Amino acid sequence: MADKRNLKLGRRDFLRVAGLGAGAAAVATIAKPTTVKAGSQGAKFTDPAGRVNRPWWVRTVDQPTTEIDWNVMQRYNERMGTVRGPGMAGYVGQEEVDRLEAAAAKNELQRMIDNVDGYTLKDQALAEAHVALGWSFLGPQKAPTPEERGMPKWTGTPEEASKIIRAAMRHFGAATVGFIELDENTRKLIYAVDPDGKDMIFTDDAVATETDDARYIPNSCKYVISYTVQMSQETMRRCPTPLAQQTTQLAYKRGQDIQASTQEFVRGLGYQCLGESSTNALAISPALAVLAGLGEMSRLNRLITPEFGPMVRVFHLLIDLPVAVDKPIDAGIMEFCKRCKKCAEACPSESLSFETEPTWETQGGWNNPGHKAYFENAVTCRAYWREVAGTNCGICFAVCPFAKKDKAWVHEWVKASGSMVPALDSFFRTMDDAFGYGVQASAEEWWGLDLPEFGIDTTMSVREG
Amino acid sequence: MSDKMTIAIRKRSWIEWSGWAIWFVGILLIVQNAIGSAQELEPRAALILWVSLAVWLLAGLVVWFVRKDR
Ligand code: SF4
Ligand code: SF4
Repeated sequence: MADKRNLKLGRRDFLRVAGLGAGAAAVATIAKPTTVKAGSQGAKFTDPAGRVNRPWWVRTVDQPTTEIDWNVMQRYNERMGTVRGPGMAGYVGQEEVDRLEAAAAKNELQRMIDNVDGYTLKDQALAEAHVALGWSFLGPQKAPTPEERGMPKWTGTPEEASKIIRAAMRHFGAATVGFIELDENTRKLIYAVDPDGKDMIFTDDAVATETDDARYIPNSCKYVISYTVQMSQETMRRCPTPLAQQTTQLAYKRGQDIQASTQEFVRGLGYQCLGESSTNALAISPALAVLAGLGEMSRLNRLITPEFGPMVRVFHLLIDLPVAVDKPIDAGIMEFCKRCKKCAEACPSESLSFETEPTWETQGGWNNPGHKAYFENAVTCRAYWREVAGTNCGICFAVCPFAKKDKAWVHEWVKASGSMVPALDSFFRTMDDAFGYGVQASAEEWWGLDLPEFGIDTTMSVREG
Repeated sequence: MSDKMTIAIRKRSWIEWSGWAIWFVGILLIVQNAIGSAQELEPRAALILWVSLAVWLLAGLVVWFVRKDR
């Protein structure tokens, strides 16, 4: 155990031992992980100050193409100068401002009534979705409802509802979105008690409410939106370090933003959308995501998606707008875990199961019984975070063979072959080691990488055909 | 000296043509994955694939050399 606490060496030694034969190992050993010039998934900065790499026809010049006379230029009064605030009245008078506002409101309503393309209720609801931020059960409730606009609520088929919610949520930053309908069984996945100690109570009330002691969920809010938010694989492979763990925090922050926007969007359609009052509140995220077909459970006892592997955080919302629900999937992931065990071997605190088959027996109160899984020892895991890593760990996420980018076609072939022919899983696991996947990368090197926004490739979840 | 020349055209079997087609597709696939691995910042995978490409090309060269006079 003690030698495993040498963090960097622990993972590298493990991966070296697990590699292929001498030939592959020899090739692998001479490869230095520092010399690659890469493409859209993150090249190294070519400029010493990390300036953006522009096309050749963009020239740097000494003077901007706008001429400036600094003698004329004065510091600006933003409050009264622009036409956004009170400044407009200064130019045209308050009466004219009021007339314009009334015209805008009248046009907005008339266009919604006339269903003018791009000005419909759903378009306006989307436009108002960004008015507030933050975790909350009931939502920010700042966006206007259809009633407040003088409009009937949005109506459509469940398929149309699913489609526009998916479109909106993808636009807000969700990677994948799925839906389920709660029944007597799946209701058990909604917490009895939330993280802040409030009871979660289903009720026949028409509208959700919240008191100091409880959150009341109307029985009509029986549709679950489950969604994932990508983490940066390139950043997570630096774990366990604070640098790597912040991609988890960033995903949670983005999930919070997506939740608030979705709550306001659904409110703008005329329906209720209940969210997580704090991180991981309201319900068991991986379970709902599995039922909604976003991925499968795994040896991590966490969700693994076919698209991003474990490099996601998972969130959920409850709505009373009827949607077309999804089915669970089988992408060969759980089956792959039976033979792979790479995460369990790499785990420095030996918290993950080495059993070949999942079991009904839980490891402790941190596991919810009633499903057959690879239950983890969350206590030893957390102790390792605090005592040794000094930060969230995530090694098990980083080494997982499903945690891949999608530039090399081989990953898709491996996933497809593994899904169809499980007998190949052990071979693929061995090759994964031999090719050097999952080896811890330098945190210092990360600061020199020209990564895309959030360190993720948002095109990975978009498939043709 | 005869003013006639004989040109011998050797017809390859479809199996041989298929073999060369597979060899060529193999090149494309290895190159794609090598470049893709570099883009993914996976230098070890990229290196192994470039080495594999060299071996694949060499194997084709050897086969061509051995069979060229047949
Ligand atoms: S996060 Fe926990 S379970 Fe995963 S490798 Fe680290 S210590 Fe092990
Ligand atoms: S590392 Fe292997 S065993 Fe662990 S979750 Fe990933 S695929 Fe499953």
